[in-house]
Amino acid sequence: MTRYIIRRLLWGVLLLILVTALLFVLFYVLPAGDPAKLRAGRLQNPKIIAAIRADLGLNKPLLTQFWIYIRNLGLHFNFGYSYYSNASVKSLILDRLPATISLVAGGAVIWLASGLGVGIISALRPRSRLDRASMGGALVLVSAPEYWLGLILLYLFAADIGQVKIFPGANSYVPLTTDPVKWFTSLILPWLVVAASNAAIYARLIRGSLIESLGQDYIRTARAKGLTERRVVLRHGVRSAINPILTIVGLDIGVLLGSSVLVETVFDIPGIGKLNYDAITHSDFPIVQGTVLFAALFIIVANILVDIGYAYLDPRVRYS
Amino acid sequence: MRSLRTITLAALAGVLTVGVAACGSSNSSKSANAGISAPQGVLTPANESWTGGKRGGTLNVLNHEDFEHIDPGQSYFAIDYEAVYATQRPLYSYNPNKFAPVPDMAESAPQISSDAKTITIHIRHGVHFSPPVNREVTSADVAYALDRGANTNVANPYFEAYFKSLEGFSKAKGGPISGITTPDKYTIVLKLTEPKAQIVADALVLPVSAAVPQEYAKKFDEKKPSEYGNFQVATGPYMWKADSSGKILGIGYQPGKSATLVRNPNWNASTDFRPGYLDQINISIGGDPTVIGRQALEGSHTVQNDTPAQSIVKLAFEKFRSQLFIAPGAGNRYVALNNSHGPFTNVNLRKAVWAALDREAMDKARGGSLVTIPATHFIYPEIPGFEEAGGIAGPKFDYNEHPQGDPAVAEKYMKLAGFSSGKYTGGTTIQVVGSTGNPASTDAEIVNQTLKNLGFKTKFNLVDQSVMYSKFCGVVTEEIDVCPNVGWLADFADGQAALDVPFNGKNIITNGTNSNWGQVNHPKINKAMEAAENVVGASARAAAWGKIDKELVEEAVAAPWDWDKQPAVEAKDVAGAGDVWNEASWDYSFTSLK
Repeated sequence: MTRYIIRRLLWGVLLLILVTALLFVLFYVLPAGDPAKLRAGRLQNPKIIAAIRADLGLNKPLLTQFWIYIRNLGLHFNFGYSYYSNASVKSLILDRLPATISLVAGGAVIWLASGLGVGIISALRPRSRLDRASMGGALVLVSAPEYWLGLILLYLFAADIGQVKIFPGANSYVPLTTDPVKWFTSLILPWLVVAASNAAIYARLIRGSLIESLGQDYIRTARAKGLTERRVVLRHGVRSAINPILTIVGLDIGVLLGSSVLVETVFDIPGIGKLNYDAITHSDFPIVQGTVLFAALFIIVANILVDIGYAYLDPRVRYS
Repeated sequence: MRSLRTITLAALAGVLTVGVAACGSSNSSKSANAGISAPQGVLTPANESWTGGKRGGTLNVLNHEDFEHIDPGQSYFAIDYEAVYATQRPLYSYNPNKFAPVPDMAESAPQISSDAKTITIHIRHGVHFSPPVNREVTSADVAYALDRGANTNVANPYFEAYFKSLEGFSKAKGGPISGITTPDKYTIVLKLTEPKAQIVADALVLPVSAAVPQEYAKKFDEKKPSEYGNFQVATGPYMWKADSSGKILGIGYQPGKSATLVRNPNWNASTDFRPGYLDQINISIGGDPTVIGRQALEGSHTVQNDTPAQSIVKLAFEKFRSQLFIAPGAGNRYVALNNSHGPFTNVNLRKAVWAALDREAMDKARGGSLVTIPATHFIYPEIPGFEEAGGIAGPKFDYNEHPQGDPAVAEKYMKLAGFSSGKYTGGTTIQVVGSTGNPASTDAEIVNQTLKNLGFKTKFNLVDQSVMYSKFCGVVTEEIDVCPNVGWLADFADGQAALDVPFNGKNIITNGTNSNWGQVNHPKINKAMEAAENVVGASARAAAWGKIDKELVEEAVAAPWDWDKQPAVEAKDVAGAGDVWNEASWDYSFTSLK
């Protein structure tokens, strides 16, 4: 098991280096991607561009620049500085991380609870009215773009611009440490949006998986042994059906930690996704590089955790 | 030339204002500028209230966009200026409703010597820097601020363009510039190598002339890049919220999140023409434009201070008209035609394109008469020289007569160009590069179709706006024939600032990004510009540059199609003062709460 984990971690590190290299090269071949010109402003004074080029070390060979970048990243965890504000990218990302974690963690709790609940109930009563209504609703939520859904919820329920003024609206986020109650209420609408499409997907997934599990021989055996239906479903059916869910929940959380751009933008939550979006808008490449690397890190870590979890649950994985 | 970025912003305005077309202006009132109308009930520079406001309170500002550079030596963007002009006092600045400079840190108008090579400016007594510097501002602080303009660590984007005639400029690297002297604590003298005193004096409205205390800033300016912006001290009514060391980053400014301006405790109202009604300005950065615009309209003590979304302008016009401000003078847009290469070296072909172009349709795509005016020449409203160049109607040429396009006139010029059928029959396929995103793409398509109707075969590409400038229209060697989506916004109210860079042959840059997109290089016009650069006096310059504008139209160097107007929205309990000189931004130093 230890060797397996080490192998997965090494693969993760290698993958991160590859992503870093890819990002680095990408920003050199992108149109309008000359950092000196971006930093120089719009009058493009050649003297200033030359000076900035020297300051940023852009006159050095590409490989040297890459090595310096990797070295700063590896030794000092230094992602560079914003072209505009001169703020450290690391501090910007760490400053935004709590908001994104708040959004994703709360959303995940809601989507897992509601998605799994609805999916299990639907699986136990397939083709019933409840099942059809649940799956129809899930289809609608899956199809609803997050951005649109966010706007609709704001226009319906936000305390400032809503028709029924219930929940705090956009730009109301406060950190948990500042005011836990406000933190909670400000995130209710964003959580619902994050949870909506995911809950719908999870409901459909668990329903399909559970229906399949409940048709297996071991379920029949369990019932024949006289176990209660509740025990049969939860201990034998759901336990087996939930494996694929566990696989994707890790990845989904990893992806969302790096890219919940739309929800953060609509609700004006200062998270990593919005930081990335703003940086792309302004071609602030050190921030884009930093946030994309962070997103990659989240996904790789989530992947490794899922792999390890799988290996723990199913020893055959370790030898494959 | 806040062109690229601010025109990008204006383009966003365009994107967002589609659908406001035909809002109507039949029942309209005149704004500050003669001939510019706005619908009844809408706030304009002529009827906005910026005096007699109530003191105190906190204004909440909702901005979608972040600042670019908050260092007064580097800032060059409408959003930056909102905060920079509230916290800093350049030598000259503006009242909200007029694009005309008034003395700010300067005590009076600049004194220009008879040979136009020396400028003498006396600065005010009793202006103090904010904490932690606290001491009185002297002329040496203004001199250091100007020295910083040549410091590559500061990377000022326009200093060379306007101040290169300063003695010693060519050797300047951030240290003292020999042409800047301070004979006493309250006098600064600028000596020039050429008689260009007027344009230098005009450029002193830019924030690079805002005083910077050398003993405090030097250590920050030695960093690459300078970190003074994140530790700056203020001279205006407000200052960035900072800790005791003066640090702003992470305290008064959190990039992408928020900014806070508080009262400058050392500001002395008796030295300033600005009232500074508000106690504090809380700026929230990054909200969705469709949400924050609505929050501003329906909220309290709130404004949106960047370009409102299309749906918001429409909503404001229909339901919150008294909370909608429209300012003219937000730049021009034109179709750049390559004057130096390809078929459009032929003046009659350029005139044919101008004549055929349906400028009204292009403006309608941007939002119609509420936010656009069909352009008839290049100097736009609020810039001196506009009336001299023909005002709204523009110079009298048949190709300029019909903003909806005139096929008969176009045919006439096609024939004069040597195409007897009235259609282009040359073998050349012309390259047209426009900008993606509506309405820019719609406008580009109208131009492309116009060219096709004239018989041209076109290779039509739409790319991101920054790519359009940096890889195509701004690169001479690409030899792009037509760029339908370019535009210009003058740095200050002067015809030279509006015309020189985009239309003077000497400004064609071959080793960088060129902003003379049509590669306009007509010796007669170049010579006229060179002469006009040396003209001293506002009315004489307006006449000189107005005449040049007419000559540009006569040569049909490009086809202008829009003068932008800019919208802004506020809550009902805000007495906003919108800046006509800064794309309708609400001016924090004049805005008050009701």
